[in-house]
Amino acid sequence: MRKRVWRLLGLLAVLTLLAGVCTAGAQEKTRIKFWTFHSNYEKEFMISLGQEYMKVNPNVEIVYENIPESEYMGAKLTTAFAANSGPDVFVISPGDFLKYANSGLALDLTPYFTDKIRADFLKSSLDAVTVKGKIYAIPFEVELLGLYYNKDMLAKANVAPPKTWQELIGATKKLKTDQVAGLVIEPQRGYYQNFTWYPFLWQGGGTVINVQTKKSAFKGRAVENALKLWADLIKAGAPSKLAKGTWEPFIGDGSAAMQICGTWIIARLEKDFADKNIGLVPLPTPPGGKAATDAGGWKFMVNGKSKNADAAAKFAMWALAENVNLPLKWCTEVKFAYSPRKSVVQAGAAIYGKGLRKVFTDQIYETAIGEPRYPAEIVGFVGDALQEVMFKNVAPRQAAQKADQKIKQFLKDFKGSM
Amino acid sequence: MKLESFTKKVSHEFPQNHIQSRFLTRPKVQENLFAYLMLAPDLIGLAVFIFLPIVIAFYVSLHDWNALEPMQFVGLKNYWTLSGDLDWWVSLRTTALYSLMFVPLVYGISLLLAVFIHSIPGKFQEFIRTVNFMPFSVSTVVAGIIWMFMFEEQRGMVNGAIKLLGLPAQTFLGDPDQALICIALVSAWMVIGYYTVLFLAALKDIPVSYYEAARLDGANVLTIFKNITLPLLKETSTFVLIVTTIASFQVFDQIKIMTNGGPADATNVSVFYIYRQCFEYMKLGYASALAFVLFMIIFALSLAQLKLMRSGNTDSKI
Repeated sequence: MRKRVWRLLGLLAVLTLLAGVCTAGAQEKTRIKFWTFHSNYEKEFMISLGQEYMKVNPNVEIVYENIPESEYMGAKLTTAFAANSGPDVFVISPGDFLKYANSGLALDLTPYFTDKIRADFLKSSLDAVTVKGKIYAIPFEVELLGLYYNKDMLAKANVAPPKTWQELIGATKKLKTDQVAGLVIEPQRGYYQNFTWYPFLWQGGGTVINVQTKKSAFKGRAVENALKLWADLIKAGAPSKLAKGTWEPFIGDGSAAMQICGTWIIARLEKDFADKNIGLVPLPTPPGGKAATDAGGWKFMVNGKSKNADAAAKFAMWALAENVNLPLKWCTEVKFAYSPRKSVVQAGAAIYGKGLRKVFTDQIYETAIGEPRYPAEIVGFVGDALQEVMFKNVAPRQAAQKADQKIKQFLKDFKGSM
Repeated sequence: MKLESFTKKVSHEFPQNHIQSRFLTRPKVQENLFAYLMLAPDLIGLAVFIFLPIVIAFYVSLHDWNALEPMQFVGLKNYWTLSGDLDWWVSLRTTALYSLMFVPLVYGISLLLAVFIHSIPGKFQEFIRTVNFMPFSVSTVVAGIIWMFMFEEQRGMVNGAIKLLGLPAQTFLGDPDQALICIALVSAWMVIGYYTVLFLAALKDIPVSYYEAARLDGANVLTIFKNITLPLLKETSTFVLIVTTIASFQVFDQIKIMTNGGPADATNVSVFYIYRQCFEYMKLGYASALAFVLFMIIFALSLAQLKLMRSGNTDSKI
């Protein structure tokens, strides 16, 4: 009798254990670590992406982590991947894209891009994330640069919005006061400075690397003139150091009369500085030059070494390549940027003609050139040349030659794709 | 009582074999074991967080590694590369320049402040000591951001004060000739309170009778400072000089926040250069080699400093 009781109890224990395991298996969710660096409205939007996805995919848990921008762009991602604790989905700038694509860490997203999805994306946007025929990231915004100006300040100083480089230098000088900067440009070395300077290089026909030959092209009049322009702007009084990042709306808080900045600040200007009389014109051009602006924008990348890579890819594709409402909200409400997807642009057609956006749509969009995705070393060489001309009074030709030599030397040993 | 005479006395009173036999007794072993047990958390901490990372850094320095792909052994290649890396040597020169500004500034001001505060009688001394210590409790990030705003060319408070004096506004952090000086000043501002406290503690140990005797002999303030205060603070001075020199070679946070190495690499000190190689170019092996060399430089400098101070320290025994 006692034996039977023990057997029965044993059987019950086994059954309970099995039931527990089965229940746990059924309830276990696929956890996806999702990292970005955004703040304010942008952060809220990123959180909402995960929340919306979990509503339609209850078996997936999106764990969003927000990292301060300086840390994110600095040590955080590198150390996380080095320690095998990197995110499954993360945002990446064009400047960092190649590092991850060439290393094999980025998941090949080509199989997820159906013909329909491919057709929806602008070809140039997909080309920017394609290496050797494989797609390694999902572009979700196209951000353009323009010259913002405070209409009242310019009118008071009797200055017309600059159209040429000479007018820009003259206006910078004339508009500078004890409390107000005539013009804000990015003075600090880095990806962002290069991003905002490239249009001036392109306007004169210059470039950093010849796309066909994959050789250095960082020499000649166009390079020297563009370098000299930024040195002249600093000499004319553009601040050589600012406590805030120059992607912030200086033009809105009244600390600058003109600012070279991107599409993204329009939403901030409308929300926080609606009372300010702000104007916008295309970036000024050199004599005989052609209008050009930079088309930048962050991308979503998926960690190919993650055990949940497939689920992570599905989440990223759902949020940015299949869904229309969320990307539209990002590009038109949270901030202003152009979508790299035709369906999203179509859905928000009315918004692209609203306020300052109309200037971007009518006068600047057509002149956009995609932000180059050079290796970090090349970005550094170009940045060094700019800094030397701006702050060390090095002759533009000399700085360009030095950078050109360094680029050539680097490309000799460089084995990755570009 | 001097150490030698004490040792002799002990040896005389307790013969060697007696000491040895006592040492081997069970309670003594237990006592030693207990002592090691008490020290164990610190020793483990040192091993895990100090020595192990140094060994790992050396191991990584023998490899090519971008953190995303497996390491590749390259032997001493990274060390060979750094010997010809002009930018690295320039960053070391910038670090040395910073050190030459920061160390004397911290040492001089904290010593003078300590002497000044020490001379203040009563409760007011405590107040001044607290106020002086406050910047040390501010985090580097917060201090960096605050001073970045203070140093702004157009709306910064420092230029506001300069303009009030009728002097022209300065670009400070935006000027390659001024940026490193500004960083040294901010760094010094942050730590002076701490070193002042160290000097104050040492000053309190100097017997008042020495000062009284010197005054009776007709010595003035400067003579007293030179012949009594300074020599008797030699051990604290050695400590402060070594620690501030090490700190000056490790400066990073302020630079990352305030100038990001610029303008035109004017504040690109060695640690920042290492950071750039590591996290901008993802050359973790090369960055580790640079870090290891920097460690050796700091180690050698500290040893030299210690030896130098000790060689002139013979008279300080009381």
